[in-house]
Amino acid sequence: MPLPLYYFLTITAVNLLMSWALYLPYRMGHLHFIVVANMAISGYTAAFMVLSLQLPFWLALLAGFLLGALVGYIVALFIGDAPTFAVVIVGFTFIYITRTVIENTSAVGGTMGLFGLPNVGGSPAAHRWTILAILYGLVFLVGFLIHRFDRSQLGRAASAVFIDKDLTASLGIDIKKMGILLQTFSCTLAGGCGVLYGFIYKSFHLDYFTFHVIGILMTVIFVGGYTTLWGTVLAAPVLYGVPLLFPPEIASWRIVIYGALLILVLVLKPEGFITTRFVHTIGSYWSRKRRQPTLPNRRKENL
Amino acid sequence: MKARLIVAGVLASMLFAAGPGLAQQPVAVNEWQVPFLNCLTGPIASIGAYLQWGAERAAADINQAGGIAGKPVKVTGIDTANDPQKGTVEMARIVKDGLVALGPVPEPVIMAAMPIAVENEMVSMTATTSYEYANKFFPWTVSWFPPISKRLPPVVEAWAKQFSDMKQVVQFIEPYGAWPGMAEAHVPGLKAAGVKVLSPIEVPSDAVTFGPLVVKALDQKPDGIIFACNAEKIAKIVKELKGRGWQKMNHLLVFNSGDDAALYTIGGEDINGVQVYNFINPGLDTPRWNAFKNAYMKDHNGMVPPSLSTHYYDALFMIKEAIEKTGVTGDPKKLKEERKKIADYCANVKDFQGLMFKWDMKDGVPTNKPLYIFEIESGKKKFVREVRPQ
Repeated sequence: MPLPLYYFLTITAVNLLMSWALYLPYRMGHLHFIVVANMAISGYTAAFMVLSLQLPFWLALLAGFLLGALVGYIVALFIGDAPTFAVVIVGFTFIYITRTVIENTSAVGGTMGLFGLPNVGGSPAAHRWTILAILYGLVFLVGFLIHRFDRSQLGRAASAVFIDKDLTASLGIDIKKMGILLQTFSCTLAGGCGVLYGFIYKSFHLDYFTFHVIGILMTVIFVGGYTTLWGTVLAAPVLYGVPLLFPPEIASWRIVIYGALLILVLVLKPEGFITTRFVHTIGSYWSRKRRQPTLPNRRKENL
Repeated sequence: MKARLIVAGVLASMLFAAGPGLAQQPVAVNEWQVPFLNCLTGPIASIGAYLQWGAERAAADINQAGGIAGKPVKVTGIDTANDPQKGTVEMARIVKDGLVALGPVPEPVIMAAMPIAVENEMVSMTATTSYEYANKFFPWTVSWFPPISKRLPPVVEAWAKQFSDMKQVVQFIEPYGAWPGMAEAHVPGLKAAGVKVLSPIEVPSDAVTFGPLVVKALDQKPDGIIFACNAEKIAKIVKELKGRGWQKMNHLLVFNSGDDAALYTIGGEDINGVQVYNFINPGLDTPRWNAFKNAYMKDHNGMVPPSLSTHYYDALFMIKEAIEKTGVTGDPKKLKEERKKIADYCANVKDFQGLMFKWDMKDGVPTNKPLYIFEIESGKKKFVREVRPQ
């Protein structure tokens, strides 16, 4: 596989998974930026396990997921039903705390970062295929789970919370439990992504986990559409991939193009390019097409 | 018979004399392409701009003098916008058929993109980062600096020894990249000068006000202060210090990474007298340096070239020397072998004539680069002394 394609595919997958990690809590109105801190916490921990404790990658990856879940669950116990603003503040604070702790922990490289993560599977080629397989396995698994969630009673309840929290509570829905569930799931996912992100680069640096990442994820969600998971599926590769195709003269204007695009979308299409209605329209079109009998069959039916 | 022997001898000696020329394989390219993974947009775009200027200036100078092995060279700036995500994809593109590259810049992009250059065995010159980052990617890059533990103590010792009243020193340290390590390397130098090192003051990367930090520092009653943080913050802290009555301006020392345009534009007259250590000496008077300096000043409204502006100029000249002296042809069929030739040559080049001085490399590390101490006067650096680490 050509190297640029590998990096494009893997980084797109991470952006997609991380957008979903942000999308899920946002289904009930929570902008849960703590996921970026989770990436760093789990990523650095996994790297420490592999580099210093000589533990296998798979164990470190599992630990990354579990650590993400643990941090997410503990925090969610306090902010599972908090207002959006409080959740945003907690997320930002956590990013600062995480950065400071890592900066001052020499065991994980401090401000210098960690170098020389080994190839998973021995050779560089095996490493690439393994990382790619894990990431796209995750994309399909998580995509399927979110798809099921969106169509379930829980998903509808989350939509109700997004519109009117009090009304939803009066219908007997436990908002806090739902918040804990969604936040914990998104943090678990972010933990795993953090580990894989570092193994793509074979290194960790604190600047991999800055507010810039939040900017990318927010653009993906709001340009793609925050009411359905399909919006991020469209926006993640397009927003990341298209600027790479720009000629150097235009590439410098990338940020301006992003900004203009975001403003345009927010003004003209506040729900993003892909909305629930759009997905339903496409869905019904395909179902109609499937149900429509073919001509010979119709003739047989007439006979 | 005798005459024939003489003719044969003459021909043989002519052939021998012309040997290197005949041994030189024909160059297989019409133009040498050198991609430069640089930060042309984003938070450090201003630094990226003068790094790019330096590399392009080198290309212009080389082309004017006949190119590399007779062919012109072109430096193409590739913007990574300080984004590791973009840096990796761009590096992955370059390693496919690139002979050699410049950059990446800065550390987060280096860490993400350099493993790709290493895996594909292509030299990419990370000429602005410290040894502590560069050495992780040897032999596919070279360090532009010796290890901080060797180069910094002597210069700090020399600074402290200028002042007999310098008894205790405090450091302002920003936790970024190699900076805490550099601050740590100042300590042995201070101790060697018999100076007591006070508790350091951490400057948060997102700090916007510096009053409390300055109060905390002054509370320890220091005689001198060393800054290991970014240029903009240093200028603001110096202003704050002056506002609180600090008068011994030459008892303030700025580390080399802080010697950047923002220090002068924000600091203005308030930084007069402050001392700086760095690897380049803008006061040097040689035709080559003067031409570079004047061209830079002409293109930048009279601004003196910043400290890192020469690095990629020298890097491109080092590549030129490597190509010419090792007979690299640019033939795609010999890519692997020629990449190795460039790596080997650069890692151990001797007497390399840089823009400012000559230096040697040993296994990718410069062995004899000097450091300079300056005093700032009306936005200009006045030479104080040269320090050559042993």
